[in-house]
Amino acid sequence: MKRITAVFCFALLSLCALAQRSEVHIVSVNDVHAKIENMPRLSAIVDSLRAEYPGLLVLSAGDNRTGEPLNDMNEIPAYPMVALMNQIGFDATTLGNHEFDSGPAGLAKLIDLANFPHICANVFPDSKWGIHLRPYQIFDVNGISVAVIGVVEVGPAGIPDSHPDNCKGLEFKPAPETLQQYSWLRDKCNVVLLLTHIGYEEDVELSKDVPWADLIVGGHSHTQLEGGEIHNGLLITQNVNRLARCTHITLTLENGKVVDKRAENIEVGTYPKENAATAQLLKFFSNNPEFQRTLCRLSAPITSYEELGCLMADAFCASGKADVGFVNAGGIRYGSHEAGPFTVADVLRLDPFGNDAVMLELTGEELKQMLMACNAADGYGFPKVSGIKCELIRDKKDPGMLKDIKITHPDGSKFCLKKTYKVVTNSYAAAVSVSPRKDQGRAMNYLTSQMIIDYLDGKEAVDYSGVCRLSESVK
Amino acid sequence: MKVKVNRRTVDIFDGARVRDAVLRYLVLRKMDVKLIETAECQDAAGHSIGSDAPLKDGQTIKVKNI
Repeated sequence: MKRITAVFCFALLSLCALAQRSEVHIVSVNDVHAKIENMPRLSAIVDSLRAEYPGLLVLSAGDNRTGEPLNDMNEIPAYPMVALMNQIGFDATTLGNHEFDSGPAGLAKLIDLANFPHICANVFPDSKWGIHLRPYQIFDVNGISVAVIGVVEVGPAGIPDSHPDNCKGLEFKPAPETLQQYSWLRDKCNVVLLLTHIGYEEDVELSKDVPWADLIVGGHSHTQLEGGEIHNGLLITQNVNRLARCTHITLTLENGKVVDKRAENIEVGTYPKENAATAQLLKFFSNNPEFQRTLCRLSAPITSYEELGCLMADAFCASGKADVGFVNAGGIRYGSHEAGPFTVADVLRLDPFGNDAVMLELTGEELKQMLMACNAADGYGFPKVSGIKCELIRDKKDPGMLKDIKITHPDGSKFCLKKTYKVVTNSYAAAVSVSPRKDQGRAMNYLTSQMIIDYLDGKEAVDYSGVCRLSESVK
Repeated sequence: MKVKVNRRTVDIFDGARVRDAVLRYLVLRKMDVKLIETAECQDAAGHSIGSDAPLKDGQTIKVKNI
């Protein structure tokens, strides 16, 4: 009897060993866009899950930065996010298109300051930049090997969606083809995770071609998935941007193979706890001395929206290397400023929307129609201009109605309506100005607030007192 | 580039975001642009998407609560 019992126990133990179950737990975020005020809450969520699941992997699918001046205008641009991610204990991030926003040198610096690897297989930097990327990394999670392979989107121009100057000296290859080179990781690892910044639709498409992977932790399209979705056998996860939520992924393995994949969203924005150390670090970064930096001096006070609008439009023209610049009247957020220092904070109050600059090539006639359309849609008055002057011709019977405009060069000379001009405006004005034109334009990946900073920075003094480029007549 | 907002084709600048296409849609429909504040956007499959989300040529989005 004893022998039978012993044999039975041995068989049972063997079966248990054969069907050994284990779990891998992952917290993922994407497109945080420097929503730094939510980082202490994310930190508390990570603490809580780590206490329950030692070996928790914390991953970001890219676009950690860009969207919060406290972060992006730090002395080392975007360093606060890296410091906060270090403090939380991120295990890895891939690159999003916005990781390139400070150019190759800026990216190299941030990677050096990070305590976690930047994993991206389809970016090939020139060695002169010293950008230390890894195509993949294998993590040991309580004895389970987890391969993480990263990729970033590559647009039609062959670079990610960032300013072309930021991508100089970097070579990019399409994400799907690049990933195929790493299919051998399937034989080496228990779990293969693709950390992608290519967008939800592309992730679904990709899932058809990578049956050797287990899951895709995605970003870029700011798509809110309910936990995760299974496509072609792969679990795909993604959240909307700015850290509204994170995803807790649970992979169940039997005998070293993934047999179940689940994901749930966790609300970050409304999470009731904060990690005190992360909150303290955030407080440190919330007082950015860069904001008080004087860009130039105003030699006379500015007393009207018109004057500040002209300053903004001049900045669009100069920084965008355009013939004509204009800003919608509603885009000028204050109308006076005393003489003296003009600071970075003054610019961010003047243009707080995070609008991108848009470059268009327009004939004089198309420009005229666009300015009139902007006036009609904006509701705050006629746009403020640079590179031209405008006479607003109002209807005699209805003076509130703009009948026509006459454009001249700044010196009053005739403006050719047939000639083509390079025009820069902000993304809001480009969007709301519905008018006939061949060229709808293209985003410059250059914030209009940054254009103003670049225009004023280093100028000794500027004087916009009394500047007016609009006149009125009635017909 | 051309994108579809609530089945209406909207011609918008390259590199536009969801918010830009919705603004253009509101103007085309002669609706108040301030409705952008309450707009809830979805992709073609019905997932919520952020207003800052990038757009690509040919993409379809749906806008609710306007």
